Amino acid sequence: MKKMLTIFGRDVRVNMKNFMAVFIILFPIVMAIGINLFTPGINDTTVNLALLSKDTEMAAYYEDFAKVETFATQGEVENRVAQRDNVVGILPEENGNYYILTQGNEPKEAVVEYAQVLKALYELDAQVADSNAVLHNFGKTVPPLKNTLVNAMILMISILGGMLISLNIVEEKMDNTVSAINVAPISRTAWVFGKSLMGLLLPLVGSFALVLITGFTYINFLQLAAVVVASALISIIVGFVQGLNADDMMTAVAGIKMMMLPMIGSVIGAELVSQKWQWCFYWSPFYWMYKANGIVLSGAGEWPKLLLDTGLVLVITALIFAYQAPRIRKGLEKV
Amino acid sequence: MIKVEGLYHSYNRDGDYAVKNASFEVPKGEVFGFLGPSGAGKSTTQGILTGLLRLQEGKVNVAGYDVKELKRSMFNKIGMSFEQSNVYSALTARENLRFYSKLFDVPTEDPDTLLKLVGLFDVADKKAGEFSKGMKHRLTFARSMMNNPELWFLDEPTTGLDPAIAATIKEIVREKNKQGVTIFLTTHNMYIADELCNRVAFIVDGEIKLIDSPRNLKLQYGQNLVDVEYGDGGSLKKETFSTVDERDIKKLQELIGRKHIATMHTKEATLEEIFIKVTGRELV
Ligand SMILES: Nc1ncnc2c1ncn2[C@@H]1O[C@H](COP(=O)(O)OP(=O)(O)O)[C@@H](O)[C@H]1O
Ligand SMILES: [Mg+2]
Repeated sequence: MKKMLTIFGRDVRVNMKNFMAVFIILFPIVMAIGINLFTPGINDTTVNLALLSKDTEMAAYYEDFAKVETFATQGEVENRVAQRDNVVGILPEENGNYYILTQGNEPKEAVVEYAQVLKALYELDAQVADSNAVLHNFGKTVPPLKNTLVNAMILMISILGGMLISLNIVEEKMDNTVSAINVAPISRTAWVFGKSLMGLLLPLVGSFALVLITGFTYINFLQLAAVVVASALISIIVGFVQGLNADDMMTAVAGIKMMMLPMIGSVIGAELVSQKWQWCFYWSPFYWMYKANGIVLSGAGEWPKLLLDTGLVLVITALIFAYQAPRIRKGLEKV
Repeated sequence: MIKVEGLYHSYNRDGDYAVKNASFEVPKGEVFGFLGPSGAGKSTTQGILTGLLRLQEGKVNVAGYDVKELKRSMFNKIGMSFEQSNVYSALTARENLRFYSKLFDVPTEDPDTLLKLVGLFDVADKKAGEFSKGMKHRLTFARSMMNNPELWFLDEPTTGLDPAIAATIKEIVREKNKQGVTIFLTTHNMYIADELCNRVAFIVDGEIKLIDSPRNLKLQYGQNLVDVEYGDGGSLKKETFSTVDERDIKKLQELIGRKHIATMHTKEATLEEIFIKVTGRELV
C-alpha cells in the first residue's frame, strides 16, 4: 500500500514537470471556466424578475419562486432588464394588465417561459399548497446545453486519466526503468495499482472541481463518485493497453484519443437520436455513463436507475477487460 | 550464496540456447567473475539469477531463495547494476535514488552518501536526462547499493567508462567486498576480472568452459617469461627465458652470474591469452 503510493507519488512528481501532463491535469478546471463563460450559470438562470416597488403583493408571491428586484420607476426596470444578465421585467400596461419585458437574448425555455408560467400562476392565484403534483424538476433551471457539456466533460476527464496512465507507462518504457522496479521488493500488483491510481484520482478530483465550478452544488456527490469511478475503469484499462503497446508518447496519446470518438458519438446519440433508435447505442459504455451522469446532474437522486446504468457500465468494462487481459499480461511481461 | 545446477535458457524456446547446462556455486564473500565475449550469455545468466528472466530449466538458488518461486523479499538482500543504465530521465539524480529507496523494506543508504561515493553529488539536483552516458551509468551503479545488498550483481560495471571513473568503481567494489558483500560480476574485460575476482568462469556460446582463480589459471596455463637485457662486449643484448623450463632457468642463472644485467622484466601470460588458449575465442 505504502509502495503503491510511492509509485503514484513519483508519477505525480514527473507529471508536474511535463507540460502535456500539466495541461491534462488542469484541463477540467479550464473547461469548467469555459463552460461558465459560454453558457449561463445556474444562478443566472434562477429567474430574476424586475418589478415596480409598488406591486408589493405580486413581489411577495414571486419571491417564493424567483429572485425579485424592485425598482421605483418603469424606466429603472427597463434599464435593469437591459443589462447583460438574465432579468425579466413584469410591468403594468395602461389597462391594468401586466406584460413581460425581455431583452431578447435570455434563454427562452429556461427564463422567459418560466416567467410566463409564473405570471399566469399569479394571475390564477395558484398556491403551492393547491398543487398535488410532486414537483420533481421544479428549480431545475440549468439550461440543457450546460448539462450536456458538463456531462460530456466528465466522460472526457476520465479518458484523460487513461491518457496520463499511458504517458506514465511509456515514460517507464523509454527509460527502461521497469527492469529496475523488477529487482526491487515491490510486487507487480502494487506497481500496477500505483500506476492506476492516477486514472482514478484525476477523474474524481477533476469531475468534482468541474461540477462545483459550474455550479452543480446541489447534486449528490456520492452518486457522482460512484459513476466516475465506474467510468474510470475503462480508461484505466485502455490506458494500460495503449501505454504498453506504444513506443512513444505521441502514439500513446493518439491511441487514447480514439476513445473520444465513441464517447462523443454516444453523447450525440443519447441527445439527438430519437427514442426508437436509442438501442443502437446500448453497446457503448459511454452511453450508459452519460445516462448515469444525467441522473446525477439532475440532482433527483434516483439510485435504482443510477445503479442500473452504472452496473451496465461495469458489465461492459468487464467484457473489455476479459478481452484485453491477455494483451495487458503480455505487455507487462515485456516491459 | 549462489547455487546453479543445469541451467538452460532459450529466448524463443526453440532449442536455440543462450545458456547451456551452466552449473556453478558462489560462496559467501567471494567476487565471482563471468568472463566471456559479448553475446556469450553472461547477461542472460544474470537475468535469470535476478528473476528478470523466467527460469526455464535447471535449479537456481540465490541468497537462500529458490528462483523458481520468486519471493519479492529476496530483493531486499540483493542489488543489481545494469549494463544499460536505466534511470528516470525526468527526475533528478537525488529524486531517482530517493524514490528507489522507498521500495525497500530494509534500512537504506542515504542518497547523498551514494551520490558522493560515485562523484555525482555536485549534480544531485540535475535531471538524469541531461546526464552523459557515464554519469547515468554511475547513477545506476549507485542505485544498486541502495539497500546495502549482501549479494551484488554487476553487469559490465566499467564498460564504456573513462579510466578514472572505472578506477573509482573498482575501488568501491573492492571496499564492498572487504565488508563481506558477495559479488557476481559479468564482464568481457579481462583486466577487471583479473583485478577484482577471486574466481572467474570462462563462458562462450552459453557454455561455461572452466572455473578457477586467475592465479591458478596463470600457474596452470600461463608460461611465465622473463625479458632480460644485458651488456655483452660493449653492445646491449636481449633474450627471453621461461621461468618454468629447466634449461632456461639454468641459462638465466649463469647469465646473472657472468654478465652485467641492464634490465629484467617478468612477463606474465594475461588472462586474455589464457582465455584464447582455453576457448579458442577472443574476448571481444
Ligand atoms: N531479449 C532477447 N531475445 C532474444 N535473444 C536474446 C535476447 N537477449 C539476448 N539474446 C541473445 O542471447 C545471447 C546471449 O546474450 P547476452 O546474455 O546478452 O550476452 P552477453 O551478456 O554475454 O553479452 C546472444 O546471442 C543474444 O543475441
Ligand atoms: Mg551483457
